[in-house]
Amino acid sequence: MTHRAMTVLLRRVALAFILTAFFSFPCIAGENPPFIFGLLLVGPYNDHGWSQAHFEAGEYVQTKLPNCKMIYIDKVNPADRPGITITQLVDDMVEKRARFIIANSDDMKDGIREAAKLHPEIHFLHISGDDVLTAKAPPNLSNLMGRMEYGKMMAGFVAAMTSQTGKIGYLGPLINEETRRLAVSCYLGARHAWEKIRGKNPNDLVFQVNWIGFWFNIPGVTSDPTQVSQHFFDTGYDVVISGIDTTEAVVVAQQKRNQGKNVWAIPYDYVGACEAASQACLGVPYFNWGPHYSEFIQASMNKTWKQSWIWAGPDWKDINNKDTSAVGFQAGVVLPGPIKEKLQAFITQLGSNEINLFTGPLAYQDGTEFLKAGEVADDKKIWYMKQMLKGMAGQSSAK
Amino acid sequence: MNLTGLESIFSSLVAGATPILIAAIGETLTEKAGVINLSLDGTILLGAMISFVTTYHTGSLGLGFFAGALVGAGLAAIIAGLSLFFGASQVAVGFVLTLLARDLAYFFGSTYARISAPQIPPLPIPYLSNLPVVGPIFFNHNILVYWGLILIPLATWFLYYTNAGLILRAAGENPKTCFSRGINARFQQLIYSIIGGSLVGFSGAAFALCFKPGWGQPQGAEGTGWIVLALVIFGGWHPVRACLGAYLFAFLQIASLHLQNQFESVPAQVFQVAPFPLMIFSLLLVRLLEGDSHRNLSMSQTRSSGFWQKIFSYLTGPAPSALGKPFSTEADH
Repeated sequence: MTHRAMTVLLRRVALAFILTAFFSFPCIAGENPPFIFGLLLVGPYNDHGWSQAHFEAGEYVQTKLPNCKMIYIDKVNPADRPGITITQLVDDMVEKRARFIIANSDDMKDGIREAAKLHPEIHFLHISGDDVLTAKAPPNLSNLMGRMEYGKMMAGFVAAMTSQTGKIGYLGPLINEETRRLAVSCYLGARHAWEKIRGKNPNDLVFQVNWIGFWFNIPGVTSDPTQVSQHFFDTGYDVVISGIDTTEAVVVAQQKRNQGKNVWAIPYDYVGACEAASQACLGVPYFNWGPHYSEFIQASMNKTWKQSWIWAGPDWKDINNKDTSAVGFQAGVVLPGPIKEKLQAFITQLGSNEINLFTGPLAYQDGTEFLKAGEVADDKKIWYMKQMLKGMAGQSSAK
Repeated sequence: MNLTGLESIFSSLVAGATPILIAAIGETLTEKAGVINLSLDGTILLGAMISFVTTYHTGSLGLGFFAGALVGAGLAAIIAGLSLFFGASQVAVGFVLTLLARDLAYFFGSTYARISAPQIPPLPIPYLSNLPVVGPIFFNHNILVYWGLILIPLATWFLYYTNAGLILRAAGENPKTCFSRGINARFQQLIYSIIGGSLVGFSGAAFALCFKPGWGQPQGAEGTGWIVLALVIFGGWHPVRACLGAYLFAFLQIASLHLQNQFESVPAQVFQVAPFPLMIFSLLLVRLLEGDSHRNLSMSQTRSSGFWQKIFSYLTGPAPSALGKPFSTEADH
């Protein structure tokens, strides 16, 4: 290369560098830089379940709060990212100028607490955790969870109203307080429908819980949810309620229906979960995180942040209102009209507190007392559900 | 447990083992010809994804299966081609390809997660499906299950009772002798690698379009490829024995579901993780006992050997002599 050619090349490189710096400058130090919030998702952003519900809530925030920008990292779990810690991912997000970070899994509890201590200038929101309740949380960490117990009661109600065999299967994830109380809520809803609406003997209702070991299938680590669902349907269960983040139960139900079986399933988490197999789907209890995400992020932007533990319930005026309700139930297209009507009446009774299914007498699975006759469970008693209830089959403890 | 319960277990077992045994037969053909295709896990995943996407867009299950088989054939051709014609390590190329294929499947399949596409319809066989006990177990499935059941004797017959099968085995045992007898051993190895690979890709399609329908991350078929490799090796490179292993694996998976309910005092995790290590342990045990029985049999040809020794000696067999050793005609000239 001649000296002249080299000079021209160097000039062009320098020009490109200057132009790049000039045009990117407003993004870095403009008058109104975007407020960046980070989202750590335990599963894929498009799992048609838990993680997608969070991802779409992030998109909702971007539409509701101008100048807000989401960054996200999905598949944050030991199987997909072995050896990667939550603090490493948070550091990465902070480096990308995130000022508010959401961790969407109970599994991230310790990691996000550690990260919050390391970054006191950033606000953190841990979904489904209780660090604020137990006073373990640093001041910049809050907790949010939806009162899915209501959604699960509706799922159990619909299952028992539909079941012909009286055998309802529950596809459980791992065993902890959260998953126990959700399974219990399903059972209570099912028992109410079976006993009070259909007038049947509660002892004839079979409610079997099978745990797969995690929120979604990890081959070689968990039981296979496809096989567990098949097992339910092959052994006389005609409705399977899913407690996991993905849609295997409803897909298998559709497959069995194609084989001529009269079976159904109820997926979980995400409003669009029935799309995977709409003809086998009785409905879906789902989370709607958007409104509360917006509130938290708005408070962080306005510097009015206050540490809180929020267990957000449905908007009883309209549980499927996207702007107000944290929990909803989307009835399936195959749910018969008369059952829809009964469901609507049940929802009204729940909303008006005419019915509270967490009312004694209720016993734990081992026969010890959970609630005395007439006693109504408080939030803490439900949140820290120690066992499943008498009448439910399946393991209550992972130990 | 009542008869219906047992029928249900065995029916699930026959169906659940099908994609595993199709892949196991594919890999047996490949390895019998002397080539190790280590890319099975990635091939199954990429085959599953491509077949799902193809079926989703075209609505044709046939095209989906064809695409899955094509993917398997292509990956196998890369391994065999690089090894046989360029001297690359089969193990290294296979291992890299399995990782690459897995990542490609998840990357390109991301937008197709958890959506529905056509699935293989059930096909109960008239009259036979109504027979007591055997009807629900063997004749109330779909065409893939029947195809899998037919494939076992078909592959055995081909390998051990046809001239083409003899040439295949000769290419895997002693390619130099094949060459000296005028048979193009490298061509044989390439062809059977491609056929074996296409069966592995086909099994991926079987997962996505039938046995674990749909696509998503993680796909339920993940990890199956490693089990298939173990089945082929520990099953002594024989299609029947490899398929017995496939049924054993399916049985362990189904048994773990039943046992979780039967033994509620045992932590659920034990049953959740049990099938994979139990499978490897069982195969290893058979292999070790087989070693003993072979030694004992050879030491005492005249003595009547024990029943279990004979059984174990039937359960396994030696590896093809030229397995993983590319044959070069140039060295002989």
